[in-house]
Amino acid sequence: MSLRNPVARTRIFLAAAFCAFAALLSGCSQDKTWDLDNITGIVSPLAFSLTDDTGRHVTAETYRGRIVMLYFGYTHCPDVCPTTLATLSQALSKLGAAADKVRILFVTVDPQRDTPPLLKRYTEAFGPEFIGLRTDDPALRQLAKRYRVTYSLGKPDAHGNYEATHSSAVFIFDGKGKARLMAESSSSAAAIAHDVQQLIGGA
Amino acid sequence: MLLKDVSRKPLLWLAAALCMAFAGLAQAAGSPASVEHARIRWLPGDLPLAGYFDLTNTGPRPLTLTGASSTVFGDVMMHRTVHRGGETGMVPVHDLQVRPGQTLHFTPDGYHLMLMGRTRTLAKGDAVPIRLTFSGGRSMDVMFAVRGADMQ
Repeated sequence: MSLRNPVARTRIFLAAAFCAFAALLSGCSQDKTWDLDNITGIVSPLAFSLTDDTGRHVTAETYRGRIVMLYFGYTHCPDVCPTTLATLSQALSKLGAAADKVRILFVTVDPQRDTPPLLKRYTEAFGPEFIGLRTDDPALRQLAKRYRVTYSLGKPDAHGNYEATHSSAVFIFDGKGKARLMAESSSSAAAIAHDVQQLIGGA
Repeated sequence: MLLKDVSRKPLLWLAAALCMAFAGLAQAAGSPASVEHARIRWLPGDLPLAGYFDLTNTGPRPLTLTGASSTVFGDVMMHRTVHRGGETGMVPVHDLQVRPGQTLHFTPDGYHLMLMGRTRTLAKGDAVPIRLTFSGGRSMDVMFAVRGADMQ
Protein backbone atom coordinates (compact mmCIF):
# COMPACT_ATOMS: atom_id res chain seq x y z
CA MET A 1 0.00 0.00 0.00
CA SER A 2 2.82 2.40 0.85
CA LEU A 3 4.13 2.24 -2.73
CA ARG A 4 1.02 4.02 -3.85
CA ASN A 5 2.04 6.88 -1.62
CA PRO A 6 4.13 9.28 -3.78
CA VAL A 7 6.26 10.38 -0.82
CA ALA A 8 7.18 6.82 0.12
CA ARG A 9 7.93 6.03 -3.53
CA THR A 10 10.33 8.97 -3.79
CA ARG A 11 12.04 7.91 -0.57
CA ILE A 12 12.54 4.38 -1.85
CA PHE A 13 13.90 5.72 -5.11
CA LEU A 14 16.36 7.99 -3.30
CA ALA A 15 17.47 5.18 -1.02
CA ALA A 16 18.03 2.89 -4.00
CA ALA A 17 19.97 5.58 -5.83
CA PHE A 18 22.11 6.20 -2.75
CA CYS A 19 22.85 2.48 -2.40
CA ALA A 20 23.86 2.22 -6.05
CA PHE A 21 26.12 5.28 -5.70
CA ALA A 22 27.71 3.93 -2.52
CA ALA A 23 28.30 0.57 -4.17
CA LEU A 24 29.95 2.31 -7.11
CA LEU A 25 32.19 4.35 -4.81
CA SER A 26 33.25 1.39 -2.72
CA GLY A 27 33.90 -0.60 -5.88
CA CYS A 28 36.23 2.11 -7.15
CA SER A 29 38.11 2.70 -3.94
CA GLN A 30 38.47 -0.92 -2.83
CA ASP A 31 41.56 -2.91 -3.75
CA LYS A 32 41.00 -5.66 -6.26
CA THR A 33 40.75 -8.94 -4.51
CA TRP A 34 42.60 -11.90 -5.92
CA ASP A 35 41.96 -15.57 -5.33
CA LEU A 36 45.56 -16.45 -6.25
CA ASP A 37 48.77 -15.17 -4.63
CA ASN A 38 49.51 -11.57 -5.58
CA ILE A 39 53.17 -11.36 -6.69
CA THR A 40 53.05 -7.82 -8.08
CA GLY A 41 56.42 -6.18 -7.48
CA ILE A 42 57.95 -9.38 -6.12
CA VAL A 43 58.71 -11.41 -9.25
CA SER A 44 60.69 -10.14 -12.26
CA PRO A 45 58.82 -9.00 -15.38
CA LEU A 46 58.47 -11.40 -18.29
CA ALA A 47 61.73 -11.60 -20.25
CA PHE A 48 63.15 -14.53 -22.20
CA SER A 49 64.64 -15.64 -25.48
CA LEU A 50 63.50 -19.17 -26.36
CA THR A 51 62.51 -21.46 -29.23
CA ASP A 52 58.82 -22.30 -29.54
CA ASP A 53 57.30 -25.67 -30.50
CA THR A 54 57.31 -24.74 -34.20
CA GLY A 55 61.05 -23.96 -34.07
CA ARG A 56 60.50 -20.20 -34.12
CA HIS A 57 62.61 -17.85 -31.98
CA VAL A 58 60.36 -16.03 -29.51
CA THR A 59 60.78 -13.43 -26.77
CA ALA A 60 58.47 -11.86 -24.19
CA GLU A 61 57.63 -9.22 -26.84
CA THR A 62 56.03 -11.94 -28.97
CA TYR A 63 53.27 -12.28 -26.37
CA ARG A 64 52.93 -8.60 -25.38
CA GLY A 65 49.28 -7.61 -25.05
CA ARG A 66 48.26 -11.05 -23.83
CA ILE A 67 47.99 -12.50 -20.35
CA VAL A 68 50.85 -14.99 -20.07
CA MET A 69 50.99 -17.98 -17.75
CA LEU A 70 54.52 -19.36 -17.38
CA TYR A 71 55.09 -22.91 -16.15
CA PHE A 72 58.24 -25.02 -15.95
CA GLY A 73 57.73 -28.75 -16.51
CA TYR A 74 58.56 -31.67 -18.82
CA THR A 75 56.48 -33.92 -21.06
CA HIS A 76 57.60 -37.20 -19.45
CA CYS A 77 55.96 -36.05 -16.20
CA PRO A 78 52.81 -38.19 -16.00
CA ASP A 79 50.95 -36.61 -13.11
CA VAL A 80 51.54 -33.07 -11.85
CA CYS A 81 52.41 -31.38 -15.20
CA PRO A 82 49.35 -32.59 -17.15
CA THR A 83 47.19 -32.08 -14.05
CA THR A 84 48.31 -28.44 -13.82
CA LEU A 85 47.88 -27.88 -17.57
CA ALA A 86 44.41 -29.52 -17.44
CA THR A 87 43.40 -27.10 -14.67
CA LEU A 88 44.64 -24.16 -16.77
CA SER A 89 42.72 -25.57 -19.76
CA GLN A 90 39.55 -25.71 -17.65
CA ALA A 91 40.13 -22.14 -16.50
CA LEU A 92 40.38 -21.05 -20.15
CA SER A 93 37.11 -22.85 -20.94
CA LYS A 94 35.43 -20.75 -18.26
CA LEU A 95 36.70 -17.58 -19.97
CA GLY A 96 34.98 -18.40 -23.26
CA ALA A 97 36.11 -16.21 -26.19
CA ALA A 98 38.37 -14.19 -23.84
CA ALA A 99 40.65 -17.25 -23.64
CA ASP A 100 42.26 -16.00 -26.84
CA LYS A 101 43.74 -13.14 -24.80
CA VAL A 102 45.76 -15.71 -22.83
CA ARG A 103 48.83 -17.77 -23.71
CA ILE A 104 50.18 -20.59 -21.57
CA LEU A 105 53.92 -20.99 -22.01
CA PHE A 106 55.22 -24.41 -21.00
CA VAL A 107 59.01 -24.17 -20.61
CA THR A 108 60.60 -27.60 -20.59
CA VAL A 109 63.26 -28.38 -17.99
CA ASP A 110 64.12 -31.47 -20.09
CA PRO A 111 65.20 -30.00 -23.47
CA GLN A 112 67.09 -33.17 -24.37
CA ARG A 113 63.92 -35.28 -24.71
CA ASP A 114 61.47 -32.45 -25.33
CA THR A 115 62.09 -31.66 -28.99
CA PRO A 116 59.92 -28.99 -30.65
CA PRO A 117 57.74 -31.64 -32.44
CA LEU A 118 57.09 -33.53 -29.17
CA LEU A 119 56.35 -30.26 -27.34
CA LYS A 120 53.92 -29.32 -30.10
CA ARG A 121 51.99 -32.60 -29.88
CA TYR A 122 51.98 -32.34 -26.09
CA THR A 123 50.77 -28.75 -25.79
CA GLU A 124 48.17 -29.22 -28.57
CA ALA A 125 46.50 -31.87 -26.42
CA PHE A 126 45.56 -29.13 -23.93
CA GLY A 127 44.39 -26.43 -26.33
CA PRO A 128 45.45 -23.88 -28.95
CA GLU A 129 46.53 -21.36 -26.25
CA PHE A 130 49.28 -23.71 -25.01
CA ILE A 131 52.80 -23.23 -26.39
CA GLY A 132 55.87 -25.32 -25.64
CA LEU A 133 59.16 -23.46 -25.24
CA ARG A 134 62.71 -24.71 -24.92
CA THR A 135 66.30 -23.64 -24.68
CA ASP A 136 69.57 -25.31 -23.85
CA ASP A 137 71.02 -25.67 -20.42
CA PRO A 138 72.90 -22.44 -19.62
CA ALA A 139 70.02 -20.24 -20.82
CA LEU A 140 67.48 -22.43 -19.03
CA ARG A 141 69.44 -22.11 -15.77
CA GLN A 142 69.43 -18.33 -16.16
CA LEU A 143 65.70 -18.23 -16.86
CA ALA A 144 64.96 -20.45 -13.85
CA LYS A 145 67.13 -18.19 -11.70
CA ARG A 146 65.22 -15.11 -12.90
CA TYR A 147 61.98 -16.65 -11.57
CA ARG A 148 63.71 -18.20 -8.53
CA VAL A 149 62.67 -21.71 -9.48
CA THR A 150 64.83 -24.81 -9.35
CA TYR A 151 64.82 -28.02 -11.32
CA SER A 152 66.93 -31.14 -11.50
CA LEU A 153 67.04 -34.23 -13.67
CA GLY A 154 67.27 -37.65 -12.04
CA LYS A 155 69.65 -40.46 -12.96
CA PRO A 156 68.52 -42.58 -15.94
CA ASP A 157 67.36 -46.13 -15.18
CA ALA A 158 68.34 -49.26 -17.18
CA HIS A 159 65.97 -48.19 -19.98
CA GLY A 160 67.32 -44.63 -20.08
CA ASN A 161 64.20 -43.24 -18.42
CA TYR A 162 64.59 -40.52 -15.87
CA GLU A 163 62.43 -38.17 -13.89
CA ALA A 164 62.80 -34.53 -12.97
CA THR A 165 61.89 -32.27 -10.11
CA HIS A 166 60.62 -28.81 -10.98
CA SER A 167 58.69 -25.88 -9.60
CA SER A 168 54.95 -26.23 -9.05
CA ALA A 169 54.40 -22.48 -9.63
CA VAL A 170 52.46 -20.97 -12.53
CA PHE A 171 53.50 -17.31 -12.90
CA ILE A 172 50.85 -15.05 -14.41
CA PHE A 173 51.86 -11.85 -16.21
CA ASP A 174 49.62 -9.04 -17.45
CA GLY A 175 49.56 -7.72 -21.03
CA LYS A 176 52.52 -5.46 -20.27
CA GLY A 177 54.65 -8.36 -19.07
CA LYS A 178 54.42 -7.43 -15.40
CA ALA A 179 54.32 -10.37 -12.95
CA ARG A 180 51.00 -10.25 -11.12
CA LEU A 181 49.85 -13.58 -9.72
CA MET A 182 51.01 -17.06 -8.89
CA ALA A 183 48.95 -20.25 -9.17
CA GLU A 184 49.96 -23.78 -8.16
CA SER A 185 48.91 -27.32 -9.07
CA SER A 186 46.38 -27.16 -6.22
CA SER A 187 44.75 -23.91 -7.44
CA SER A 188 41.20 -24.32 -8.75
CA ALA A 189 40.19 -23.56 -12.33
CA ALA A 190 37.51 -21.22 -10.93
CA ALA A 191 40.07 -19.16 -8.98
CA ILE A 192 42.39 -18.92 -11.98
CA ALA A 193 39.53 -17.96 -14.33
CA HIS A 194 38.29 -15.34 -11.86
CA ASP A 195 41.67 -13.65 -11.53
CA VAL A 196 42.59 -13.85 -15.21
CA GLN A 197 39.22 -12.32 -16.07
CA GLN A 198 40.10 -9.40 -13.81
CA LEU A 199 43.50 -9.03 -15.47
CA ILE A 200 41.87 -9.05 -18.92
CA GLY A 201 39.53 -6.34 -17.65
CA GLY A 202 42.57 -4.16 -16.92
CA ALA A 203 42.88 -4.80 -13.18
CA MET B 1 -0.89 -75.75 -18.40
CA LEU B 2 -1.67 -72.12 -18.26
CA LEU B 3 -2.61 -72.29 -14.59
CA LYS B 4 0.53 -74.29 -13.82
CA ASP B 5 2.74 -71.77 -15.59
CA VAL B 6 1.24 -68.90 -13.69
CA SER B 7 1.67 -70.69 -10.39
CA ARG B 8 5.30 -71.58 -11.20
CA LYS B 9 6.36 -68.12 -12.21
CA PRO B 10 6.71 -66.67 -8.70
CA LEU B 11 8.79 -69.69 -7.74
CA LEU B 12 11.01 -69.20 -10.77
CA TRP B 13 11.47 -65.55 -9.90
CA LEU B 14 12.30 -66.47 -6.33
CA ALA B 15 14.84 -69.06 -7.51
CA ALA B 16 16.39 -66.51 -9.88
CA ALA B 17 16.55 -63.91 -7.11
CA LEU B 18 18.20 -66.41 -4.75
CA CYS B 19 20.74 -67.38 -7.41
CA MET B 20 21.59 -63.73 -7.98
CA ALA B 21 21.90 -63.11 -4.27
CA PHE B 22 24.29 -66.06 -3.86
CA ALA B 23 26.26 -64.97 -6.92
CA GLY B 24 26.60 -61.53 -5.36
CA LEU B 25 27.82 -62.96 -2.08
CA ALA B 26 30.32 -65.20 -3.86
CA GLN B 27 31.71 -62.26 -5.74
CA ALA B 28 32.07 -60.26 -2.55
CA ALA B 29 33.81 -63.16 -0.82
CA GLY B 30 36.18 -63.74 -3.78
CA SER B 31 37.33 -60.13 -4.20
CA PRO B 32 36.89 -58.07 -1.05
CA ALA B 33 37.49 -54.82 -2.87
CA SER B 34 35.73 -52.56 -5.32
CA VAL B 35 37.25 -50.08 -7.73
CA GLU B 36 35.57 -46.97 -9.09
CA HIS B 37 36.57 -44.08 -11.38
CA ALA B 38 39.40 -46.07 -13.01
CA ARG B 39 40.83 -43.72 -15.63
CA ILE B 40 43.99 -42.86 -17.53
CA ARG B 41 44.98 -39.42 -18.75
CA TRP B 42 45.96 -39.67 -22.42
CA LEU B 43 49.16 -38.00 -23.62
CA PRO B 44 50.66 -38.24 -27.12
CA GLY B 45 53.30 -40.63 -28.44
CA ASP B 46 54.79 -42.96 -25.88
CA LEU B 47 54.92 -40.48 -23.01
CA PRO B 48 54.38 -42.03 -19.58
CA LEU B 49 50.74 -41.86 -18.53
CA ALA B 50 49.06 -41.68 -15.13
CA GLY B 51 46.30 -44.04 -14.00
CA TYR B 52 43.84 -43.04 -11.27
CA PHE B 53 41.15 -44.95 -9.34
CA ASP B 54 39.35 -45.25 -6.02
CA LEU B 55 39.87 -48.59 -4.27
CA THR B 56 37.51 -49.51 -1.45
CA ASN B 57 38.20 -52.40 0.90
CA THR B 58 34.80 -54.10 1.17
CA GLY B 59 36.18 -57.10 3.09
CA PRO B 60 36.59 -57.68 6.81
CA ARG B 61 40.40 -57.66 6.85
CA PRO B 62 43.06 -55.07 5.92
CA LEU B 63 44.05 -55.16 2.26
CA THR B 64 47.53 -54.34 1.00
CA LEU B 65 47.94 -53.07 -2.56
CA THR B 66 51.42 -54.13 -3.69
CA GLY B 67 51.48 -53.11 -7.35
CA ALA B 68 49.91 -53.26 -10.77
CA SER B 69 50.64 -54.63 -14.24
CA SER B 70 49.10 -54.50 -17.69
CA THR B 71 49.54 -56.16 -21.07
CA VAL B 72 49.16 -52.70 -22.62
CA PHE B 73 52.21 -51.27 -20.82
CA GLY B 74 55.75 -52.57 -20.48
CA ASP B 75 56.07 -51.16 -16.99
CA VAL B 76 53.58 -50.05 -14.32
CA MET B 77 54.75 -48.39 -11.12
CA MET B 78 52.98 -46.93 -8.12
CA HIS B 79 54.06 -43.35 -7.53
CA ARG B 80 53.16 -40.41 -5.41
CA THR B 81 53.64 -36.75 -6.35
CA VAL B 82 55.22 -34.79 -3.52
CA HIS B 83 55.69 -31.07 -3.03
CA ARG B 84 58.66 -29.84 -1.02
CA GLY B 85 59.42 -26.15 -0.63
CA GLY B 86 57.85 -25.15 -3.94
CA GLU B 87 59.46 -28.05 -5.78
CA THR B 88 57.55 -31.00 -7.12
CA GLY B 89 58.70 -34.53 -7.80
CA MET B 90 57.64 -38.16 -7.64
CA VAL B 91 58.53 -40.87 -5.16
CA PRO B 92 57.98 -44.61 -5.66
CA VAL B 93 55.37 -46.31 -3.49
CA HIS B 94 55.81 -49.98 -2.58
CA ASP B 95 52.69 -51.04 -0.75
CA LEU B 96 49.62 -49.34 0.60
CA GLN B 97 47.39 -50.76 3.29
CA VAL B 98 43.64 -50.16 3.08
CA ARG B 99 41.64 -50.78 6.23
CA PRO B 100 38.19 -52.45 6.03
CA GLY B 101 35.67 -49.90 4.79
CA GLN B 102 38.40 -47.43 3.82
CA THR B 103 38.79 -45.99 0.30
CA LEU B 104 42.24 -45.34 -1.14
CA HIS B 105 42.26 -42.54 -3.71
CA PHE B 106 44.71 -42.56 -6.60
CA THR B 107 44.06 -39.04 -7.77
CA PRO B 108 45.74 -36.26 -9.82
CA ASP B 109 48.58 -34.57 -7.89
CA GLY B 110 48.81 -37.50 -5.49
CA TYR B 111 49.05 -41.28 -5.74
CA HIS B 112 49.06 -42.52 -9.34
CA LEU B 113 50.01 -45.50 -11.45
CA MET B 114 52.84 -44.52 -13.77
CA LEU B 115 52.23 -46.39 -17.02
CA MET B 116 55.23 -46.68 -19.32
CA GLY B 117 56.04 -48.31 -22.65
CA ARG B 118 52.74 -48.67 -24.53
CA THR B 119 52.45 -51.96 -26.38
CA ARG B 120 49.77 -50.48 -28.63
CA THR B 121 48.58 -47.02 -29.60
CA LEU B 122 45.94 -45.57 -27.32
CA ALA B 123 43.23 -43.02 -27.97
CA LYS B 124 40.64 -41.20 -25.90
CA GLY B 125 37.68 -43.53 -25.35
CA ASP B 126 39.74 -46.75 -25.25
CA ALA B 127 39.47 -49.18 -22.33
CA VAL B 128 42.68 -50.63 -20.92
CA PRO B 129 42.91 -53.65 -18.59
CA ILE B 130 45.15 -53.25 -15.55
CA ARG B 131 45.70 -55.90 -12.89
CA LEU B 132 45.97 -54.64 -9.33
CA THR B 133 47.92 -57.02 -7.11
CA PHE B 134 47.54 -57.46 -3.39
CA SER B 135 49.56 -59.17 -0.69
CA GLY B 136 48.69 -62.83 -0.25
CA GLY B 137 48.82 -63.45 -4.01
CA ARG B 138 45.44 -61.94 -4.72
CA SER B 139 44.74 -59.76 -7.73
CA MET B 140 41.92 -57.86 -9.37
CA ASP B 141 41.48 -57.00 -13.06
CA VAL B 142 40.12 -53.51 -13.67
CA MET B 143 39.21 -51.76 -16.93
CA PHE B 144 40.56 -48.19 -17.07
CA ALA B 145 38.93 -45.63 -19.37
CA VAL B 146 41.33 -43.54 -21.45
CA ARG B 147 40.29 -39.90 -21.05
CA GLY B 148 41.50 -36.70 -22.73
CA ALA B 149 44.68 -34.88 -21.67
CA ASP B 150 42.54 -32.10 -20.17
CA MET B 151 40.50 -34.36 -17.86
CA GLN B 152 40.33 -33.37 -14.21
